[in-house]
Amino acid sequence: MIKKIILPILLGSSIASASEVVFYSTQANPLKEADAMRNDVLINFDGEVKFLPQEAGPFFSRIEAESRAGSVTLGVLGALHGQFPQIQDSLDSIDDVLGSVPEIKSNKTMSELGKLGSQNQKYIPWMQATYIMAANKKALPYLPAGADVNALTYDELAVWAANLKEATGDAKLGFPAGEKGLMHRFLQGYLYPSFTHSVVTDFRGDDAKAMWAWFRDLWQDVNPRSTAYSLMQEPLLTEEVWVAFDHTARLKDAFDQRPDDFIAFPAPSAKAGRGFMPVIAGLAIPAGTPDRAASVELIKYLSQPEVQVKTLKATGFYPIANVELPADLPANVRIAGKAISMQANAADALPSMLPVGLGDMSGQFSKAYKDTFQQIVLRNADIDQILDRQAMVLKTIMVSANAPCWAPDKPSDGVCPVN
Amino acid sequence: MSNLNQDVSLEQEIQAADNKNKVWKWLFISSAAFMISWILFPIYLLIVSALSSAEVVNGWPKAFVPEFDMETLQFFMNYYGVLGALKNSLIAAVFTMVISIGLGTPAGYALARFEFRGKETFRMMILLTRAFPMPLLALPLAVIFINVGLDDTLFGLSLVHAALALPFAVLITSSLFLGIPVELEEAAWVLGCNRWQAFMKVVMPLALPGLTASAVFAFVISWNEVFAAAVLTINNQTLTAFLVQSLSSSPAEVKFAGGLILIMPAILFLFVVRKYLFSMWGIANR
Repeated sequence: MIKKIILPILLGSSIASASEVVFYSTQANPLKEADAMRNDVLINFDGEVKFLPQEAGPFFSRIEAESRAGSVTLGVLGALHGQFPQIQDSLDSIDDVLGSVPEIKSNKTMSELGKLGSQNQKYIPWMQATYIMAANKKALPYLPAGADVNALTYDELAVWAANLKEATGDAKLGFPAGEKGLMHRFLQGYLYPSFTHSVVTDFRGDDAKAMWAWFRDLWQDVNPRSTAYSLMQEPLLTEEVWVAFDHTARLKDAFDQRPDDFIAFPAPSAKAGRGFMPVIAGLAIPAGTPDRAASVELIKYLSQPEVQVKTLKATGFYPIANVELPADLPANVRIAGKAISMQANAADALPSMLPVGLGDMSGQFSKAYKDTFQQIVLRNADIDQILDRQAMVLKTIMVSANAPCWAPDKPSDGVCPVN
Repeated sequence: MSNLNQDVSLEQEIQAADNKNKVWKWLFISSAAFMISWILFPIYLLIVSALSSAEVVNGWPKAFVPEFDMETLQFFMNYYGVLGALKNSLIAAVFTMVISIGLGTPAGYALARFEFRGKETFRMMILLTRAFPMPLLALPLAVIFINVGLDDTLFGLSLVHAALALPFAVLITSSLFLGIPVELEEAAWVLGCNRWQAFMKVVMPLALPGLTASAVFAFVISWNEVFAAAVLTINNQTLTAFLVQSLSSSPAEVKFAGGLILIMPAILFLFVVRKYLFSMWGIANR
């Protein structure tokens, strides 16, 4: 009696029902996505589930606090591949769960990523996305002569940006280089692989030097407000920018709100190929969760092909399971989906894996690229000097994480070298 | 004759003084208008955008007249858990207010009226609670809260918020009590009040506006705090913990509507307590 009624009133809180699974996630965080997750995706789950999206900072703190205090309330964790290493010690091993989701297990490359470099399965791949380009149809007439927007090269992109600036007086090409933007993924997964066929090993090779010089030139025709952009759908919708690069989920609103005005197309290519990078989100169970069976049920539910399609509609993230996509998809999926498949199936496609085995150094790894970009492109610093300095930083990160190379770098014996 | 001359020069002087007054008056009015618009214009824009449809918010030129499209606001009202979170935010803010006033007022009174060893050190130390960033404190706090059973309660959260608000409560109230002459209290003692009665009957009414100000401060601090609220609550999230972080990655029209919902209760609260604030600034009660 006291515990059930008086205490909650006294403490101003309600005590959750025991059978409820708390689904804590850094994904589907935007309000409309969270709303769709609750009302469209999770609604048919056989059991009570509370979907709580959260920003990465509090997400990590909460999980770590619960694991240290030894009293866990969370049921299922949804996060990006790159976020799991930071909470790896708090995760339960879920090899048993992988066995019960054959539609996910059959995707070998991805389910292997879920081990996070350890012996055991730490997360089950949940959904995937990638980064593509988007353009306002008004920009198409300014494409350089003979260029095919679906097979663009970086040099053609530069000419296009210059044409746009000359014709409109404004720089109409934009990148998400703001505080919460994903610029580092453009550098790691797109620019570096396309120009150097490497991410780590040839960080300061001659190709990389030429690439940075080229990118600094391109920046003259890039909208200077890029350093404030986080999600490119906004400047696209306000038409501040006509051509942009971003995560598919961060372009979604532009395609949904004005499907007739925007097109999506694959990222450009350079001499080493058409570099691109997948994004993978996964589901994990914290060690010591109150009702593990219910958590497992929820993961199984979310792995079902039809639920994966619903998740796609809600979040703009694509299924991991091999599913036939239905015809009644929202505009963003129709528009982006075509570009994604063209990007992945291009003759010169050069898939770049997500960083593997960096553990909690992932954040610093991304920072090394962002810093290099800032110094060389925004601050106009000397390319050789900055690359030498940042190469040392990168080397330290690789050595202390003891991480081997991943694609597109050549496999290494032991730590991935930085030449 | 000379008298008449004097009158003329006097009139001229009055005229000149009048002109001077007029200039000052205009200067005063225009600077007041500027300061008011400094505050009100952004709020006005926020309201207009919150009441507009997505096309208008993202379109150009921007509208200055709301079109009263309630779609986005309605989305919020129907959004799962918003009302509960709003209630939680209010409860946490009121708890914070009560705790920080309840503890801050005696501390401020002691700083103002008594001499004791380490007074200056105490004055400095009390500011230290603001010296550590929340993301650093949240993890150990959460571990302790889980262990003592305060985790995921609004009372526990209010304790954290009160710790953040206390320095202000103490410093505001101590300068407040310094401004109230101790002779008034002494007179009350002479007339037969004991210390407590003198405080309640003489000092308190004079201090009330200032106490309100520090209460407003405590309320706003609790209302705005995000990180601790996000880490320390799961089932009882406050509105800011619930919305602010999701808003930053939402489209513009949703941001505006959410912003309006976030500032509304705080504005209403200020409206309710404005009487006390006005009297502190020497404006007659209205």
